[in-house]
Amino acid sequence: MIVAIVAVITFVLIHLAPGDPFSAVLDNPNVSESVRATLRAQYGLDRPLPEQFLRYAGALARGELGWSFSYERPVREVMATALPNTLLLMGVALVGSFALGILVALIQVARRGSFTDHALSGISLFFFSMPDFWLAILTLLAFTYWLPIFPVGGAVDPVMHEYLSWAGRVADRLRHLALPALTLTILASATVARFQRAALLDVLPADYIRTARLKGLTERQILRRHALRNALLPIISLIGLSFPALLTGAFFIEKIFAWPGMGFAVVSAIGTRDYPLVVGGVIIGSIMVALGSLLADLLYAWADPRLRGH
Amino acid sequence: MAISLAQPRQSPLGLAVRGILRKPSSRVAVFILGVIILVGLFAPLIAPYDPAAQPDIVALKSLPPSLAHPFGTDPYSRDVLSRVIYGARLSLSIGILATVVSLTFGVAYGAIAGYAGGVIDAVMMRVLDAFLSIPRLLLLLGVLVAWPRLSVPALVVFLGLTGWFGLSRIVRGQVLALKHAEFVTAALALGASRRRILVRHLLPNLVSPIVVAATVGVAHVIVLEAGLSYLGIGVPQPLASWGNIIQDGADQVATLWWMSLFPGLFMVLTVMTLNVLGEALRDAYERR
Repeated sequence: MIVAIVAVITFVLIHLAPGDPFSAVLDNPNVSESVRATLRAQYGLDRPLPEQFLRYAGALARGELGWSFSYERPVREVMATALPNTLLLMGVALVGSFALGILVALIQVARRGSFTDHALSGISLFFFSMPDFWLAILTLLAFTYWLPIFPVGGAVDPVMHEYLSWAGRVADRLRHLALPALTLTILASATVARFQRAALLDVLPADYIRTARLKGLTERQILRRHALRNALLPIISLIGLSFPALLTGAFFIEKIFAWPGMGFAVVSAIGTRDYPLVVGGVIIGSIMVALGSLLADLLYAWADPRLRGH
Repeated sequence: MAISLAQPRQSPLGLAVRGILRKPSSRVAVFILGVIILVGLFAPLIAPYDPAAQPDIVALKSLPPSLAHPFGTDPYSRDVLSRVIYGARLSLSIGILATVVSLTFGVAYGAIAGYAGGVIDAVMMRVLDAFLSIPRLLLLLGVLVAWPRLSVPALVVFLGLTGWFGLSRIVRGQVLALKHAEFVTAALALGASRRRILVRHLLPNLVSPIVVAATVGVAHVIVLEAGLSYLGIGVPQPLASWGNIIQDGADQVATLWWMSLFPGLFMVLTVMTLNVLGEALRDAYERR
């Protein structure tokens, strides 16, 4: 359903736009009108719109996303090579940001009202308010130019990678992954920390916490065993909600660190006006987000004993 | 002799003002945001140079910060401080205007769905779900790539049109909850039209979520506009928006660090203050 609506939206957008791929690609006086017409006919752009839409929808249903003009390969292939890199980046950032965010929230709640709490709140607000691309630019500046610890970009060393041993290749990949993943993790963890702090504070006035306190448990035990567990449920829904932000963040971060993922491909396609690739990215991105929220729903049902068995 | 038994009702505006002034952090935020807005308003008086002037493309090109140019100059010899000041004007206006568009659509759509109920509501909500599932940036990418070189007003409309989904869901929920409240039944009994009930009785009860959504919405649009301009498909060059200035230095991040640092700092400051205010407002309304 969602895919269908996305398909309609993207199709309408493309066809409402002035010109077509060929007026952009072949906008030079040396290409005669007849060549352009032949190309249009070849790609079916001279057919009536409803027919074009049906062909487009049919192709989508078969998993075809069209032809990327700039890569001169099917969009599906471009995406298939890029997607694993994006998923790796997002996966590392997802795990990292939830670990870091929950940790920060726990520290804050354990010392609620203290200077540490306020300072950490300020820091998470700072990163929460930061545009993805700006933090990426700053980390790039700081750790590749001013303090050249990490490589400037890419997923592997363009020259040396082929000659490295197996372990060397893994290390090379990790070195390249570090900065983009760290940037995305920090950005995402700000949201998690803010959210989780509120969730923990919501749970603390509950009766079972008072019971635990009366039993003589230390504040630490209460937080870890009683409060955190109950405050983890909302975090599962946050996983689903954080997918769009992670994906958007990955788009900018991939561009800035030249990380060869989906975002990098799509953002480069903006420059070359490669519509099919951009649209393919929009469609795949939306599917990823939809799957992410479905996953979160399933996880929620599994984790909440009250929902189990229904 | 009339005795009022009712509690003096706090107006949403009064609540908002008191909520903001109560916390020191939001007082600071109001001050900073006020300064940035004033800077934007009086940009022509404050900016030391013309933001578009390219006085000497050879001698004054890409200078690091100095007394004459506190934020340096860009590769076209333009003064970055002046561009950041004019950028405040443009980025803030885009944020505010796009949010007005979002609010109009979000409130109208949500109120109609909630008030109509039944099949209309169900269909409208499914369509909304689909839109909500497309990340806003991707939706905008799809639009903006198809329409290259959009004018600023068109950009504002698109930014606004992609930002109302969340709010309309909240509005719909509130309308649904209030639809059968006693004061609505009373108004119905008095013969009020549907439209009158929506506008005079339901909307005033929605002021608080709308104000919160608007504050945070402006922050979102500012970040989005900057991101799109950074990708080269937002505000058309040579206009100065915060994202555009960063884009101008993007090819040489390492050497022209001042071109990404300063506009970015202004942007983060603005977005932070808006988020602090949004939070203070939410607290104020929830406490009621």
